[in-house]
Amino acid sequence: CGEYQKVLRDDDVARKYSMADSLYQKGKYKKALKLMEQIVPAYRGKPQAERLMFMYANTFYNLEDYYLAGYQFERFVTAYPTSDSVETAAYRSAKSYYELSPRYSLDQKDTYKALEELQAYINKYPNSELRLEANTLVTELREKLEKKDFEIAQQYLNIEDYKASIAAFENFITDHPGASLRKNAFYGRLEAAYKLAINSIPALVQERLLTAKGYYNSFVKYYANSDLKEDADKILAEIDERLVEEPTS
Amino acid sequence: SRKYTINNLTVTGAQSFNEQTVIAFTGLRKGDRIFVPGEKLSAVTKKLWEQNLFSDIAFYVTNIDGDLIDLELYIVELPKMNEVTIDGVRKGKRKEILKDNNLKPGVKITKNLVTTTKNYITNKFREDGFFNTEVIISTTPHLDSTGTEIAKNMRIAVDKGERVKVSKITFEGNERLSDKKLRRAMKNVKRKNIIRFWKRSKYTESSFEEDKANVIKKYKENGYRDARILSDTLVVKDEKNVTLKLNVEEGKKYYFGDIDFIGNSVYTDSQLRQLLGIAKGETYNGTLLQERIADDSEPDADDLTNLYQNNGYLFSRINPVEVGVRNDTLDFEIRIIEGKLAYFDHISVVGNTKTNDHVIYREIRTRPGQKYSRRNVVRTIRELGQLGFFDPEQLSPNFKNVDPNNGTLDMEYSVVEKGSSQIELQGGYGGGGFVGTLGLSFNNFSLRNIFNGSAYKPLPMGDGQKLSLRAQASSFYQTYSISLTEPWLGGKKPIQLSTSFSHTVQYFYDFSTRDVDKDRRFLITGGSVGLAKRLKWPDDYFQFSQAISFQHYNLKNYNTGLFTFGDGYANNLAYTVGLSRNNTATNPIYPITGSEFSITAKLTPPYSAFNSVDYEGLAAERAELDITTVDGRERIAEIDQERFKWLEYYKIKFNGSWYTRIIDKLVLRTNTEFGFLGAYNKDRGVPPFERFFVGGDGLGAFSLDGREVIQLRGYPNQSLSSNDGNTIYNKFSLELRYPITLKQLASIYVLTFAEGGGSYDGFRNYNPFSINRSAGAGLRIFMPAFGLLGIDFGYGFDPILGGSEPNGWETHFIIGQQF
Repeated sequence: CGEYQKVLRDDDVARKYSMADSLYQKGKYKKALKLMEQIVPAYRGKPQAERLMFMYANTFYNLEDYYLAGYQFERFVTAYPTSDSVETAAYRSAKSYYELSPRYSLDQKDTYKALEELQAYINKYPNSELRLEANTLVTELREKLEKKDFEIAQQYLNIEDYKASIAAFENFITDHPGASLRKNAFYGRLEAAYKLAINSIPALVQERLLTAKGYYNSFVKYYANSDLKEDADKILAEIDERLVEEPTS
Repeated sequence: SRKYTINNLTVTGAQSFNEQTVIAFTGLRKGDRIFVPGEKLSAVTKKLWEQNLFSDIAFYVTNIDGDLIDLELYIVELPKMNEVTIDGVRKGKRKEILKDNNLKPGVKITKNLVTTTKNYITNKFREDGFFNTEVIISTTPHLDSTGTEIAKNMRIAVDKGERVKVSKITFEGNERLSDKKLRRAMKNVKRKNIIRFWKRSKYTESSFEEDKANVIKKYKENGYRDARILSDTLVVKDEKNVTLKLNVEEGKKYYFGDIDFIGNSVYTDSQLRQLLGIAKGETYNGTLLQERIADDSEPDADDLTNLYQNNGYLFSRINPVEVGVRNDTLDFEIRIIEGKLAYFDHISVVGNTKTNDHVIYREIRTRPGQKYSRRNVVRTIRELGQLGFFDPEQLSPNFKNVDPNNGTLDMEYSVVEKGSSQIELQGGYGGGGFVGTLGLSFNNFSLRNIFNGSAYKPLPMGDGQKLSLRAQASSFYQTYSISLTEPWLGGKKPIQLSTSFSHTVQYFYDFSTRDVDKDRRFLITGGSVGLAKRLKWPDDYFQFSQAISFQHYNLKNYNTGLFTFGDGYANNLAYTVGLSRNNTATNPIYPITGSEFSITAKLTPPYSAFNSVDYEGLAAERAELDITTVDGRERIAEIDQERFKWLEYYKIKFNGSWYTRIIDKLVLRTNTEFGFLGAYNKDRGVPPFERFFVGGDGLGAFSLDGREVIQLRGYPNQSLSSNDGNTIYNKFSLELRYPITLKQLASIYVLTFAEGGGSYDGFRNYNPFSINRSAGAGLRIFMPAFGLLGIDFGYGFDPILGGSEPNGWETHFIIGQQF
């Protein structure tokens, strides 16, 4: 370790470079990073910088400091558009933002950023080997955003604000056309509408039951063979029962 | 002018710059052909000036030989700053001056820099009322070791003089409004007055300008629509005093004439007129009219704009237009464009990097599909701030995709998380040894992630639960407690569930030998579960709460003042029900208006009604026994064990506080408290638990027995109750508070108080007027990371038990107590 400390205090940039390089190859990223931070400004604009900057960005990536990794890879891509590593760098930049994306119930700023970056990558390198992986990540992030909106609509249902729930489920259905939770949203809208109807003042029950029935029809139109059909049928049965009790006036 | 070829170019006067560098910078080269004088030379001169590096630049012709010309560029370099000294101002101000004027070593000392610095300082002090501030800036050469000047030192001497006060404000031309009234309208510039301690008299130009507008506003409020200030004069009387004279022209007094509403379809004329509250014939008041239509000072105001804005009409516009003047009567038309009803579509939250969506969305009062309501937006912002997870200053509602054609808008609430955890770590000597305390309180905890390792960043957060852990230990006692609060039980309704558990072990401690005997001990183990629910009626500041608590006391060869037996146990199972109202929540640290009150009843089951123990007989037997004999003591212990096996009592408490704003931020807190502890069965008697102890700082440091420690300053702790505590108490208190600062980082206020209270044994001895009185003053500091710290000095006017002299001065330290 004495050698390392010596080099760290040394003024010789080339020596730092070679030591940083060997530490990096051995996977000692933290130590390598300290050296790189010292020499990056000195190498900027020089021919060796391309390799160094890629290593530098990759070090952050390996240390799971994705904020800086994303930023440094992005810089690399702009600075060396003709580099052999540019495709990898572009991918890792996008992947870094993917790693930053938090759980669905928090602010999704980084998710949007990651989606943007991944999409840009896919568009730019349509024949890349990493395209499939990139597409998987995109799907995963999209599903996260879908889950977020779905859970919010579901929460309105839980706290018994049925009108808000119906509106939120309708927004969900419009905003996420291919969502895997679309079926659940159709069902959620039906459930919210039914509960709204039965908790209404008598004068409104009839009309709202009919609205709910309309939602049942849209549900079966698309998801007649789904696992939620049985539950939906139960609601329909209850709707019909109540409609018989309160015949149209 | 004619064209020459440059034969030679020299630079003179350069000190720190290289001649070649300067020449290169000019762009002139030997052999260039230029006009002299000519555009090229002017451009070079200008370019050099723009560098801000020189104080003099000149071209000289040193020789002309036919077509050839020799030029000399003469430059004087601006001195570089070496060091700045500022005299006559405080250190903090000094730093500010250096920073704002960029007075750093190495900067060039330009004339401009000197002038702007001078003006800056003069204006700065004028704003604070130092009207006669004088600033002298001088420079002295700074020499290097060879004696050459390499830079300059700058010295700024500031003489701010006396703060100028306004000794007189007079008016001319005012017939309708008195001088006094107009002076009162001037909110900023005030005359000297010793009694008015909250606003010092000072004169600054900007505040005077503001006050001139205020005078005009005052006239407008009284019907003088055309009033104006013809002139104002400032007379400097002496160094410290100025007088102000304002010459006003009042003009005619006007009255409201017809007020017609145009364009309203949702609300009728009479509805609008009623809300407007201005009738024909009233004195014209432009300010009032504007306020009734749209009061900019208060987003929640009950004005016409909000009538529309709170009921979905986001796109409505209301304009008052003066349509006619008949003699002294002004007719108005209130033109309303109602626009389409607007509904919320998407509701979203951004910036929540820790707090989960569901914790936030349940507090949001604007929901998808609802009609737009400004009131609900404002209230949402306020309530999100009150959660304590976000910085209230940075909460904002962002209107998105506002679509007047479809009548929809999206609302995005932008939040910024703030630290909401507190840690308490302290150690000190007390109670005969070292006492260490560790307290942790997490205000935005996530209980469901407690076993999820990846959620520890550094702790599972974001579900809005509150978890507190506390441990305190010394050589002879340890106490542990844990409590958890979930504000929305089940996530369905705002029903708050609180649970707590605590355990205390106390060993026998010999204070003289400092030995701890672990065979003799006293254990208290207990817990509680409570539910609290916000009510909708009578209003939503009410809260109804219920709780069940249980405590088990266990003694092993340990005699305390509480029990007549050294081995044995007691159980305390009780049900507490309470009703409280608190509308001071806008600033819980420093309430300015509002009130809080609570009434609670704590009840145990009436065991004696059905357990068929003959308490009457036991009481009679106990009264007969002789406590001085061993047999007698043992029998008393047996009887008391029977009496206290399950404690039996009921306790009623009332506490009310009112906050009244006197002036500015001066607030009076009026408080009254009452408590009563009673027994269902008089033979079984009131237990020695749960009693009231009055006096002192009110901190219940280490309570073994459910005792209630009541603050009464000016007396030693618990000095106003008997040793075992009393069963009734009451207290009245007046406290006048004034804030020094109410910043996010720290809230500090001073207070003076006058209070009185007393405790009594049973209603027979109760006399609400037989109280001990005290008065004094103190200071409170609240910092979010540390909680509340305070000190009070109180003078007790009455003697404490057994004394005959007034108790005199007492000093109280207040830690962590919130009120």
